[in-house]
Amino acid sequence: MRKLLDFLISKRHWFIFLVLEIVSFVMIYRNNSYQRSIMLSSANVVTGYVSSVSASVNSYLNLRSLNKELLERNGQLEMKLLELQDQIDVMKADTAKFAGYVPDSTEVFTYHFVPAEVVNNSVSQIFNYITINKGRKDGITQDMGVVSDKGVVGIVSVVNDHFSVVLSILNPKFRLSCKIQRSQYFGSMIWKGRNIQYGSLEELPRHAVFKKGDIIVTSGYSAIFPPGILVGRIWNEKKNLDNNFYSLDVKLATNFATLKNVRIISNYRQAEQRSSEKEAEQND
Amino acid sequence: MINNIIRNVFYFVILVLIQVLILNNIHFLRIATPFLYLYFIIKLPIGTSETKVVVYSFLIGFVIDLFSNTPGMHAAACTLTGLLRQPLINFYVGKDLVEGLFPSYTTFGYGGFIRYMLTFVVIHHVALFLIESLSFFDPLFLLIRIVVSILMTSLLICIVEAFNIERQKSGE
Repeated sequence: MRKLLDFLISKRHWFIFLVLEIVSFVMIYRNNSYQRSIMLSSANVVTGYVSSVSASVNSYLNLRSLNKELLERNGQLEMKLLELQDQIDVMKADTAKFAGYVPDSTEVFTYHFVPAEVVNNSVSQIFNYITINKGRKDGITQDMGVVSDKGVVGIVSVVNDHFSVVLSILNPKFRLSCKIQRSQYFGSMIWKGRNIQYGSLEELPRHAVFKKGDIIVTSGYSAIFPPGILVGRIWNEKKNLDNNFYSLDVKLATNFATLKNVRIISNYRQAEQRSSEKEAEQND
Repeated sequence: MINNIIRNVFYFVILVLIQVLILNNIHFLRIATPFLYLYFIIKLPIGTSETKVVVYSFLIGFVIDLFSNTPGMHAAACTLTGLLRQPLINFYVGKDLVEGLFPSYTTFGYGGFIRYMLTFVVIHHVALFLIESLSFFDPLFLLIRIVVSILMTSLLICIVEAFNIERQKSGE
């Protein structure tokens, strides 16, 4: 008996090893379920703080290029504004009595934007996440869409008081309903885990019409993103035929490796749409 | 003893910071990331009890996990490597080492240290990438990632070791 005990004590690192491995695998397993543990993500206070300090240092380093991008964007918007102004003027001149466009008072733009900064970003893993510096205190909740000035980025998956974690497009768990802008055929966008510049548009009907360079935008069916936000462009015309659907390579509009400023889209009617969709499913 | 604790904490904090703030952002050709934090486990003093080595390895893996949003993956791989540390040292260098020495070029010899370190890195990376791909399998790409990451990590550890100016105690 004594010898057995001695033996067990001398091999105690094996037991500790087993216990710790079990703990690790429980964490891995729980990570795969949809409810990611809030404690164990980069949205918690300590890791979030360290990340935001490093992000604030980093943000000085690429101020120049960011500034340039903003200027370009500003210029584009100004052009657009002038164009619209011009159109209004033309219409005013055309009609003797201008009734104009009187928006229906019940029709409101239901989407609202919150700007945020990326404090932690991964692109090399298979499951990629982005941490941003806005949280529950800024009105962020789960399942809100995130876009950059170039295109779609991802969906908020974990929310804490001051930080949230975004499931980026570069994550095989991410699915997004998209359509081809020119022909309005829709499919779903996923990432296959290899190249961060390309995603793939699946479940596109076989009779869909498209060509290289066609613009892919969000369809707006999910109530997460408003319709018409840029996702990317069709990269090759090769039709990968799997089952009864096409799948196409899409070059993503967002450059995830240099992502810095993002906007979070909140839709205050999202819950309403979700609940009515759920009700319809139950009635089936 | 106290010296060793301070030294370990120092190594731990510095390596974690280097890993999460700098190296996690490196994706060589979009496929490989070096994991320098292994250096902490490699450099633990000889004679640290195996229990402690396993616990330390788990801790550093766990902290890296917290920062890189990968709960459990690094922790599992590191715990495995921590368990295999003592057998590895026994295998490559033999049991007759003075307690309190740190593994390095001078104590193990160049060949000995590089063999020891390389085996260590290989075990860790294979474990890590296999765990990562549990739910997402792409064999060729996986192999490329493992090999390139192993090369980068080993190279980095060799360089850091060459520039490590820590004064070597000649045994107490």
